[in-house]
Amino acid sequence: MHNRGPRRVGGCLEEIIFLSALDKPVLIIGGGVAGLAAALELDRRGLASLVVEKGPNLGGQARGFCCKALEVCARCGACRVGDLLQQAAQRPALGALTQALAVAAQRQGAGWEVTLIPQEGPKPTSPALALERPLGERLLVQTGAVILAVGHQVFDARKKSRLGYGRVPGVMTAGELEETLAKGGLPGQARRLAFVQCVGSRDQALGRLYCSRVCCGFALRLARLARYLEPGSEVTFFHMDVQDYGQAWRAELAEMRAGMRFIRAIPGEVRPGAGGPLAVFAGPDGQPQEEEFDLVVLATGLEPPVAAPALSEMFGLTPGAEGFLTGGQGVLVAGSAGGPRSIAESIESAAQAAASAAEHLVSGQAPSPEVAHA
Amino acid sequence: MRLNDCDPSFKHEIARQPGGEGIKTCFACAACTARCPVGSLKPEYDPRRLLRLAILGRREEVLSSPLIWLCCSCQNCSEVCPQDVRCTDVLTAIKNLAAAAGYAPPSGQAMARQLAAHGRLLEVGEFENDKRAELGLPPVSEQPGDYQALLGLKPEAPRPAGEGA
Ligand SMILES: Cc1cc2nc3c(=O)[nH]c(=O)nc-3n(C[C@H](O)[C@H](O)[C@H](O)COP(=O)(O)OP(=O)(O)OC[C@H]3O[C@@H](n4cnc5c(N)ncnc54)[C@H](O)[C@@H]3O)c2cc1C
Ligand code: SF4
Ligand code: SF4
Repeated sequence: MHNRGPRRVGGCLEEIIFLSALDKPVLIIGGGVAGLAAALELDRRGLASLVVEKGPNLGGQARGFCCKALEVCARCGACRVGDLLQQAAQRPALGALTQALAVAAQRQGAGWEVTLIPQEGPKPTSPALALERPLGERLLVQTGAVILAVGHQVFDARKKSRLGYGRVPGVMTAGELEETLAKGGLPGQARRLAFVQCVGSRDQALGRLYCSRVCCGFALRLARLARYLEPGSEVTFFHMDVQDYGQAWRAELAEMRAGMRFIRAIPGEVRPGAGGPLAVFAGPDGQPQEEEFDLVVLATGLEPPVAAPALSEMFGLTPGAEGFLTGGQGVLVAGSAGGPRSIAESIESAAQAAASAAEHLVSGQAPSPEVAHA
Repeated sequence: MRLNDCDPSFKHEIARQPGGEGIKTCFACAACTARCPVGSLKPEYDPRRLLRLAILGRREEVLSSPLIWLCCSCQNCSEVCPQDVRCTDVLTAIKNLAAAAGYAPPSGQAMARQLAAHGRLLEVGEFENDKRAELGLPPVSEQPGDYQALLGLKPEAPRPAGEGA
């Protein structure tokens, strides 16, 4: 912590005036849950910000996720996207530009001058919100601090070719199942479901040594929802171990264990069978075993964002341990851009990044850079 | 299983052997077991289980197990292993330790004697030498002394000029 200048904003009038007098909004790159949450937190502190999103829509990857509640909320976080978009729409001071890409950045005192260019791309998938205005032409933004919230990249399941994705009918990624269930049900006559965990995570052969942390949670909640929607369906959960998300989760997990078949092995192969994908795995007795399913769902992991190397160079950052982004002077990292994070964790890290950015604006001092995988 | 029956240094010893380096990264995911052709013929053979026992330090149980000699070195496990354990090579390292501890199976010991005495496991006769001649290669003759010298069992024998081995 520093001693110069006003310390915290929340409710202090003098400080709000002081900060708006700077007239240098915080630039937030990436308009997913993390970017939106950072903008809202800054707004709450009386600070203007500009969200720059390269795609046509705000909300990021979680926008297409399904609510995983049965009768009561499953605390999966999927609904937080809609909440954030709604809140953001009600805050006129909060600016957003879609289809915009930051291509250059230059130090200016304690802040930055960032060049944005329009990004060619697909048109919005759903009717644009008032908030979603595409960038028309090249723009220079002067900013006191930058928040990088460019999210993660999902592991390309084709790289684990033995698991059959893109090759064997009936093999899909968990992201695809999210979208299918969000639209209302299981695909076709799928009743025998298998989930394969850690696809692209904890894999030295791929150079991905880390656990993606969120996939155990979303996969099991998706499985539970699938069984709820189709009461006759059976779930087999191929895993090494299950992440622990705390006390409440442990009770949930105990119930899930009772209703699904947990097999502590990762299939060595998935190939086409007579009536669906056929998984080859080590059975409980340690013998290779084959079993046919209707659907094999691969829980793909979270990889560093595609933009990480370019952004690191642009802002002079040291790349993080696994390739995720780390912060620097006046540059903060929020959400899954800094390491595998759930929606709730992304929002939390965004609030922290916003607080540090506010502090940086006041002091012109560097907040402590974020550590990857915090 | 009691902790006192486990030798925590065993995995380090395996890791020091050529090929054994990967053992400590095994996550026990069983992808190797799923793809093992030996396992589908011999139910007791489970590479994940052998590696687990080794990591736990069950030295005697692993080295004396007749199962370790069943690995056919097909490399299927190495191919699927997400952790780059190179399971086949780890099993070879374990077999080397077992042989050093006197656990090599009788057939293996017979082969070792054959190798030391004749330099090869298959006899090279006229048929093979005719084929070699067709390819422009010199004939191979039985010179056990050469191999014993190679193995450090005998000083090198002076060889007649123009003879290959
Ligand atoms: C299959 C799957 C299922 C999941 N299910 C759940 C779940 O049920 N619950 C949960 O809590 N979490 C879940 N997660 C994790 C969740 O996706 C992340 O926590 C969340 O998306 C992180 O939000 P974010 O805003 O940091 O990143 P993102 O959602 O990735 O958003 C980043 C935004 O930045 C934009 N962007 C990227 N690069 C640039 C650039 N150079 N310039 C401008 N904009 C850019 C992107 O277009 C995107 O809109 C799941 C993840 C996967 C892979
Ligand atoms: S969260 Fe679960 S499925 Fe995902 S990498 Fe970690 S252990 Fe594997
Ligand atoms: S495939 Fe590799 S990591 Fe998995 S159990 Fe076998 S040796 Fe261990």
